[in-house]
Parts: sequence; C-alpha cells; structure tokens
Amino acid sequence: MRITRLAGLRSAVLLAAGFVGLRVLYRVLFGGTGGGGLLLLDLPRIRLAGPFAHITLFGPVTTWGVGNAALSALPFAALVLALGLLGPIVDIRALLTRGAVRGPVRTVSRALVIAWATFPALLDSVRRVRVARELRGTRGPASLIVPVLEQTVERAIALGASMEVRGFAATRVAEPACERPATLEDVSLGYEDRWSLEHVNLVFEPGTLTLVTGATGSGKSTLLHAMSGLFQHVADGVQRGGIEVAGVDRISVPPRETAGFVGVVSQSVRLSFVAATVAEELGFALAIRGVAPVIVRTRVAELAERLGIAHLLDREIGALSAGEACLVAIGAALVERPVLLIVDEPLADLDEAARIRVIDVLERLAHDAGVCVVIAEHAIRDWGALPDRRLDIRDGTVHIVGPGSEDRGLGDEDAPRPTELRVGPTSAEIHGLSVSHGARVAVDDASLSLAAGEIVALRGPNGAGKSSLLHAIARPVRRDTVLIGGLDVHGSARRSRRHAVALVPEAFDDLLFATTVGEECHRADRDAGLSGTADLFARLLGVHSAAGATALMHRHPRDLSAGERLCLVLAIQLSARPRVLLVDEPSRGLDAAARRLVGAVLREAAASGAAVVIATHDQDFAAQYATRTIAMAAGRLDAPVGASS
Amino acid sequence: MTGVLDGLRVRPSGGDHRWSRWSLVIASILAIAGFAWPLVAAAVPKDAQAAVPVVALALVPAIAIAVAFGLDRQMHTATTVALLGVLAAVGAAVRIAGTGVGGVEAVFIVLILAGRAYGARFGFLLGMLTIALSSVLWGGIGPWTPFQVFACGWVAAGAGLLPRIRAASPRAARRWELLMLVAYGIIASYAFGLVMNFWFWPFAVGTGTGISYAAGAPLGQNLASFGLYSLVTSTLTWDTVRAITTTIGILLVGPAALAALRRAKVGRSRAAALRPRSSEPRGGGTRTRRSTARDAAEVPPTAPPPSAPA
Repeated sequence: MRITRLAGLRSAVLLAAGFVGLRVLYRVLFGGTGGGGLLLLDLPRIRLAGPFAHITLFGPVTTWGVGNAALSALPFAALVLALGLLGPIVDIRALLTRGAVRGPVRTVSRALVIAWATFPALLDSVRRVRVARELRGTRGPASLIVPVLEQTVERAIALGASMEVRGFAATRVAEPACERPATLEDVSLGYEDRWSLEHVNLVFEPGTLTLVTGATGSGKSTLLHAMSGLFQHVADGVQRGGIEVAGVDRISVPPRETAGFVGVVSQSVRLSFVAATVAEELGFALAIRGVAPVIVRTRVAELAERLGIAHLLDREIGALSAGEACLVAIGAALVERPVLLIVDEPLADLDEAARIRVIDVLERLAHDAGVCVVIAEHAIRDWGALPDRRLDIRDGTVHIVGPGSEDRGLGDEDAPRPTELRVGPTSAEIHGLSVSHGARVAVDDASLSLAAGEIVALRGPNGAGKSSLLHAIARPVRRDTVLIGGLDVHGSARRSRRHAVALVPEAFDDLLFATTVGEECHRADRDAGLSGTADLFARLLGVHSAAGATALMHRHPRDLSAGERLCLVLAIQLSARPRVLLVDEPSRGLDAAARRLVGAVLREAAASGAAVVIATHDQDFAAQYATRTIAMAAGRLDAPVGASS
Repeated sequence: MTGVLDGLRVRPSGGDHRWSRWSLVIASILAIAGFAWPLVAAAVPKDAQAAVPVVALALVPAIAIAVAFGLDRQMHTATTVALLGVLAAVGAAVRIAGTGVGGVEAVFIVLILAGRAYGARFGFLLGMLTIALSSVLWGGIGPWTPFQVFACGWVAAGAGLLPRIRAASPRAARRWELLMLVAYGIIASYAFGLVMNFWFWPFAVGTGTGISYAAGAPLGQNLASFGLYSLVTSTLTWDTVRAITTTIGILLVGPAALAALRRAKVGRSRAAALRPRSSEPRGGGTRTRRSTARDAAEVPPTAPPPSAPA
C-alpha cells in the first residue's frame, strides 16, 4: 500500500515537471520566448495565414524568455504537487472503508471498496483465462476479454446477492416470530414464461435439518431463494401463494430487511466475499447495521471460536482453502444468529475431510443450536441419516422423503454397466515431471505412461497436486518430460500440441467466449484445422434432428446447463482429436443425469482411441468410469504407474 | 462454475425519481460552464476576469462531489453497488494498463458498453468512479482529475442516452446498435479531447504566445488559437489514437461484452407484465422496481433533492 502511495507522489513530481517543460515548449513553438537576456537560438518567424493570421511560429529564444515561461508555469505546477502530496498523507483506503459503513457517500465508498478488493481477483481471472486460451489454442482479444467480463458480471451478481441478504442498504428491520422459521402455502414459483415449481405446501420447524435434492435446473435454488427472498426481490421471479419466513410475508419484505434472522450461504462462496479479511467478512452484517466496533469484534471472535476458525481471523480472504472458505461463509451468515439458515450446495468444491467438517457444523447448528437449516445438495450420500427429512424435487413438484430413507442415491445405479474398453498401445510417456509454485512443490517427480483407450482416474485430497499435474502435462515447462505419440509437447507448435493433448480445466467456462454455440464450434473447427465440432456436440447431447441441432447452435453458451456447457467444452477440446484428453474434476457440481452425460462423453473419447485422464475426488464417478485409478498425495503419485495390461 | 443465482436473473436498479434526472442535467450545465470558462471570462467585467479560472478550478470538483452525494442514495442497492464496484475495477485496470502503451485509452470501450447496457445514471457514476479510482491507484491526480471525472461520466452517460434501435430482426438491431456505438465512440473520442483542451488550454500555454488565450480578444481569434492548440496537441494524435482504439475495441468485443453485461439484467421488461406490483415505467436505464407495497410507502414520490449543486 505504502508503495502505491509514494508512487503517487513520484508521478505528481513528474507531472509538475512535465507541465513546466510543456509551457516552455509551447512558448518556443508559438513565438513567446523573446525578450532580454542571452540569445540562445534565433529561429525564423513564420506567420500563419487565414483564420490563424494572428499567430506567429518560432522567433528568437532568449534566457529571459525561457525563464519567464518556466516561472509563469510554477503556480499550476505547485497545485499539481500539492495534490500529489495528498496521496501519501491521506489513507484513502481507510477513509473509504469507514465511508462505506456510514455517512452520506456509502454507495460510492462501498463501490470503491469492492473495486479495490476486485483487483486481485481480476488479475487472477486474466491469468486463468490466458491459460484457458492457450489450452484451447485460440487467439484474439474476444477470447480474453469476454470470459473475464463474464466472470466480472457473475462476481457482481454474487456480491450483490450476498450483500442484500446480509442487510446492505436496509432502511428498516422486520420483526421475526422465531417459532415458525418458514411456511409455504400453495406456493408456485417461476418466471413469466413458465412455472418451475407448483403447489408447494411445506412447514419448516426450528432445530431441523432439511435436505433439498433434485437434478440441476429442477428448482432447488428457486425453492431456497424463494425463502431467502432473492428470487422475488432480486431475480424478478414470480410467486403465487403465500411464503412466510419467521412470520414475515416474503413477497412484501425484501431480503435486506430480514437479514437479522435469515442467513444465506451462497453456492459460490468465494464470489460472495465482500471484505478483505476473514474478520471483516464475518462482521460485515453487523458493521453495516451500525453496531459498535467493539461488539462486532467480540461477536466475531466468539463465532470464530465456535466454528473452529479463530486462527483464520486475520487471514486475507483470498488465501483460504475451499473448506475454510465454506466455513467462513457459514460464519458470516450466522453472525446475526439467524432462525433460518439457507445453504446452497455447500459440498460441491470440498474434499472428504472438509465435507465431514462442514456437515458436522451444519448438523450441530440444527440439532444443538436449534436453527432451522435448509440445504440444497446433489450428493446425499455424504449426509447419511443426519437430515430430519429430504425434499426431492422432480417434474416441478416437491416430494417429501422421510428421514434416513435411501431410495435414490446419486442415480448412478441405473447407469449402464461400464463397457469393456479396449486398451491399445502406449500413447504417452511422462518422465520426471515436477511443478513448484514458489517454494511449495506441487508435483514431485511424477512419471507415468498412458495407453490409448484407457480412462485413468487420478484421485487424492484437495491440494494433492492433481490439477497441477494435469496442467503440467498439457503445458510442460521442461523438455523431454512429456512425450505423446513421439512428440515432445514442450516446444511443439500450437497446432501439433492440440493434436497431442487437450485439457479441460476445472473452471471450464473460461474457454467459452462466443455469443452462440454455433460460433464456438466454428472457432474450434478453425483453430483445429478440422471440422465437425458442431456435429460432435449435437451427438454428445443426443440431438439428432437437423432442426434440433440448428436450435442448439443458436443458443448462448452460458444459457446451457452446467453439464451441457462441460460437454460443449469437451467437444471443443476434442475437435483436434487429441491423443490424450485431460479433464479436471469432470463431475463437480453435476447432477445424476449430467454425470451420465459427461461419463458417456469420456467413454466415447476413450473408445475413439484417446487416453483419458480425469482428476477427481468423486469416488463414485471414478469407480463408474475409470479403467485404472492412480492415487496422488502431497505431490507424489504412489500407485503402480505402468499401463495396465 | 455456476453463479450464486444460477438460473435466476438479476439486474441493477437505482432510484426512480424524475428530479434526479433534472439535477443531473443542471449539474452538467454548471460543469459545462466550468469547462467553458475562457468563454465566460470574456463576458464578465474586466475586474472579475482574473478570478474566473480560479472559480472554474474550484467549481468543477465541487459539482463532481455534489453529484456523487446526490446519486449516492439513489444507487444504494446491493446489486448496483456491486456492479459499479467490479466494473470500476475493470475500467481502472484497463486505464492503468493503457497508460503504459502510449495513451491507448481503451477505457472508453468499457464506459461506452457499460453505459449502453445499464443506462445513463449508472454510466455517469461508473465514469466518475473509474477515473477517480485509476487516478488514486496510478497517482495521476491533478487539477484535471475533476474535469476528467466529468468528461468520462458524460461519455458513459451519453451511450446510455442513445436511442433504442428498432429493426426487422434482433440480429439487425444488434448490428445497427454496434454501428451506432462505434459512431458515438469516434465522436466521443474527439469531443472528449476538445472539452478537456478547452479549459486546460489557457493554463497550458500561459500568456504571451501566438496561441495564448486573450481575454479581451474577439471570439474568432480565441477560437482560432484554441483550434490550433487542440489540433497540434491532441486532435491529430491522442484523440485519433483513442478513436481508432475505441472503434476496434467496440467492433471486436462489443457484441459479446454487451451480451455479457445484459445478462445481468435480462427479464426486466419481460417480467413486468405478470407481476402485480410492477408499477414501474418500462424501458432501459437503471430504475428501482419498488418490490413491495411497504417499500413503496417508504420511498415517497417526491423525495428530497440531493445536496444542492454547489
């Protein structure tokens, strides 16, 4: 921070000097440096014509004239310097932080605080998208700017929602009736063109844990955010029937006014963080309500203690692991001691250990602290018999499933049995691959060989180095570490590299930048120098009619569901028919149908002769689709590494 | 990666008061007077002429602050604040990155597209915040900053005020809109240079040269002097570079960027028909949907004016 502020002073000095210099230059150019003193230069006078007849260029340049010009510029230059001095003296960031909480320019200050906090995320986003561009093998400004902008807008929406549910800009506070956390009476929810849920009748009791399950797009989020109020008040959703949250009519009271007793943890917690440190984040709802800083600090410390995150309080918000970030988001939603806590897919990003911890926290909140906890989730297996009931959403209706009932798991049971994939000759050799981020070694001397037609699952906890390994195979930094079909991937040309290896990163949306699916496919064809991406994508989605395919090609890529988008990215990355396909966390956040879809794509890629490697901590998915599993821990591959025979 | 409201649609909103438009217009007129002080100075009595530049240097920042205070309350909703914040960061990043490459002022691309997508008032604030933030971070604060703040606010707001395009097909409408924005971008690039030069020219040149501002001289002579100054210092160089950058930028990223920005507010007019509480006027721009009856009572139709412009 200090550096930036001093840099401000330095540039003020440069600007002031530049101003004086320019003044002298103008005078020399436009005949104003004559007068007494020593004659420095005797330039010929040139008189202009027409409307500029009063202007004469050049003329004699004297010491007195130059000195006079410089002197006359000093008052303005002094003003520039004075403003430059303000920088090091005034701590603008601290002023903004204070102004954002109270005072007459809260909007502007808060917007600037957010802008300030967005810079690192923006740089990060640019860095990621540049890698994605390289992975896709494409160029041009659109492929960089559009994904960054999409992420920016997505971040703004997430931030806005997270501020709204924590009471930002509230002008009043609603009075809760704590004994009835939520009741829904003959509720229908949807947008103007269609209802996504109809005739829902539900009562939520204090001290209960409710799990809401259903496929992607079935209406889990709609149901949750109909209770948080974001659906009606921020997203322009339409509600029919009556929803009462702690006795307050949901349709007439916006989320910001119920922030005192409704806690919301959003799906992408990292995007919803509004502060710079964990302590600020936890205390945000209290601080913007104007609670005295001492009380905020006490409450935050107490809360952090209870959640076991006291050691994180001074941590930068960007330096949290996925599990820690999830706990911090839960803490931020709990700081006002809510009656109702709404949690949208908390486990999607987490590894086994973090899952257990988050489930434990949520379970204790419900059964010990008496909070009514409502959770949307794909993966019900992790929850075991803990939920008091499960609401399964199918075909626009909510089905109440009793406690402990095990009727429908992730839905992989009804998937076709894995077909035997014919494993072909070795197509890739990886020798002594290491990756370090700064001082930390992410991948330590990894060696393996891959055969055409196999699907290898790389398994291990978060931070084991799975992603780093995949990235290093796709973009090796050293020679002779990755050989695919006899080609050294390091130093190979863009196109031949695309034919050798393709990686679908975890943030696969980074690879999309066009406004229609058709355009994405067309660009992929062009970049790969081949054709057929559109046909491949349509086939992957099971669209066979020409009319259906045309309709699909006209859609906006971001309007597709997560599973469909992943298939689109897979189709794009398969467009160059790579010998090795690497996919990072292919099943993350996908429902049963989408998992089957993606699994089938991976199988098809393998059947057509590619060696497929997936990094996953999804045991079911790996068991279902992989022909071979390699375990990874602390950067080391510790399983037999030869190709299975 | 899916968003927090995956499948839900969101848009920014702000206050919906007629007076706010007028107060913005009045503030802009006052600011224009500040920009045009060399003309004003010729009209005031000789004794007062010396004070005019000083008044202008103080007036414009005062109006900028007054506008910020006035708009602050109206834009005080979570989504608007969040969008303003992240887009100001993008704008500032683009501006700071651009200063390193010979004044390729790509920031206009961000301002014009965002102003177009979210309306004049949002654009105005975004322009102001972008310049303020980038100046603080990069250290380019000077007497010119308030003037830049205003000029960039106008550039973004102007894009929001451009007419809605009606065409046979959405595709044609998008194409015409893009052409309109490119034309606007070129005009705005040169106009920005001209208005920034106009107030700064007497300060930059000082007295005693052929192109100096002469308070008593005929208007034609002063304009000719200004014209030559402007031509030499910016119109042929910076402004042309800016116009080219803006044109290329809007053509290359415009369609996708507009689509991305508008995705944050889809469904506003489509949703209005079904909702019983939709008393809002239709059309673009950033307005509050008073979501509730109680809320509506909270915000009286004649809210108090913002802190009076200086």
